[in-house]
Amino acid sequence: MTTLAEGPEGLAAVTGVLRALQFGDSMFPVGGFSFSNGVETALAEGTVHDAVTLSRWVRAATRNAATGDGVAVLHAHRAALRGDLDGVAAADRAVYVRKLNEETRTMTVRTGRKLAEAAARIVPGPMVDGWLERISTGQTAGCYPAGLGVSGVALGLAETDVFAMHQYSLAATMVGAAVRLLPLHHLAAQEVLFEVNGHCAGDYQTARGRELADMSGFAPQVDVLAAVHVRAHVRMFMN
Amino acid sequence: MSTAAPAPPRHPLDGLPQLADYQDQPAQQPAGAVGKDAYLRLGFARRGERTVLADLHRRAPLLVQQALYFDEGMPDLPCVFMISTSGGILQGDRYAVDITLDPGAQAHVTTQAATKIQQMDANYATMVQDITLAAGSYLEFLPDPIIPYRDSRYASRTRLCVAADATALYAEILLPGRKHHRDGEIFAYRLYSAAVQGVRPDGRELFAENLVIEPGTWPVDAPGLMGGYHVLANAILMTPPETAARVAAQAPVGHTGTGDDRTATGISVLPNDAGLIYKVLGMETEPVRAQVRAFWSVVRREVTGNEVPDNFRWR
Repeated sequence: MTTLAEGPEGLAAVTGVLRALQFGDSMFPVGGFSFSNGVETALAEGTVHDAVTLSRWVRAATRNAATGDGVAVLHAHRAALRGDLDGVAAADRAVYVRKLNEETRTMTVRTGRKLAEAAARIVPGPMVDGWLERISTGQTAGCYPAGLGVSGVALGLAETDVFAMHQYSLAATMVGAAVRLLPLHHLAAQEVLFEVNGHCAGDYQTARGRELADMSGFAPQVDVLAAVHVRAHVRMFMN
Repeated sequence: MSTAAPAPPRHPLDGLPQLADYQDQPAQQPAGAVGKDAYLRLGFARRGERTVLADLHRRAPLLVQQALYFDEGMPDLPCVFMISTSGGILQGDRYAVDITLDPGAQAHVTTQAATKIQQMDANYATMVQDITLAAGSYLEFLPDPIIPYRDSRYASRTRLCVAADATALYAEILLPGRKHHRDGEIFAYRLYSAAVQGVRPDGRELFAENLVIEPGTWPVDAPGLMGGYHVLANAILMTPPETAARVAAQAPVGHTGTGDDRTATGISVLPNDAGLIYKVLGMETEPVRAQVRAFWSVVRREVTGNEVPDNFRWR
């Protein structure tokens, strides 16, 4: 392990970590904190009730995201890197048509748009501006994974970093929601997050070679509970 | 002249990443050989009040004999049983089914028994289904449950091409295996993958679902996945938005039963005004089938104005 940032690349890595921390933070104002990604319903149903069950639930979600949205993040990033907005739009469409639940669609479109707006304001450039323009004119849905790929390129981040941000923000959102809903110690919650994050590198290995058409997942209980949640009367989160 | 065995033909799903580990050839017969490449083409057309099976092409081991008119709720509805003359789906099988409904046609397609995906020690089996519905047509595609045996590997791809004013009800029920066979065979299969895509006749993609289940690499009973349940029903309804809204308002959702009779059911609105998706989780087949049947009853009533008749006692 190196201890010194050597030369311009090392110094760029210092900045890169900060950019990833800022844009990947669960408090970054894309509105992610108002969504629980199914945790609220899982708690209400008793499926999640302690640190162990929370850990399994969040890990199932990140694994599912890796073979699904995570693949689109990588494709959007690669397209943005070669200046190909149509390629980003293809990744965006692949995400949108796979969101088979109203609330997950609402979430990805809403957070994706806010991310594009933030990127266009903080790191403007032809790609982010062009992407926001396509969203604003209704040419594309603007889902979060596509926006993250475009923003990641604007921030100068590698695809591994952007993939990690995607997986982290999902896990952090879910754990953050659980802390507010469960009697769960803050440090126990951080242990869950730490453990789940340990799987991210392996998930990247799985996702990196996949085509958009290969995007897959399997989480029927999440799907069923998400559908039940749409009809719940008392709830704190959007999903 | 070469003495080497000819390379087995490539089939549409052979390149799927989830099949990469199973490219070895079966010892019995090469993948996709004669007798392993079943094909069915069913074309339904309107003749006056009645719909007929106007086009039928079949290649063993899949078989359709003729359309029957036994549905007391819809006497003009042709009911077709897809029959397998094989003992189930075997390693190296490459099946394809094409179903077409002409404008205004109506049809009910099912199977004569559960689809048994037999134990495998080499290769895999695939199924490619193309279902095309012209303007104003109506299809109920309600096969018996699918039972993936120990070590089986199966991938299917279904394309539903449905006109904006047509209705397709497509439902699959997946069992965990031969649950009550010997000590129980639950999630002992290697791979079950099912991709369903909904498109319009102009090719526009409306939604896609690609379920990939690999119990050996990921605990399928984990919370969020099957969550301790054993049986999954996945029903897709492509129908105009007004019909979808009426069906969604009446379809049974939430929790029913206790113990082995318990089910959890959710309904969601598909993207791009494609229709609805209805998922049921349960412990045993019959309570899950009952939910799907209730959903089917609402669909038939809202789309055609007819009732689903009582179940046959032997089905």
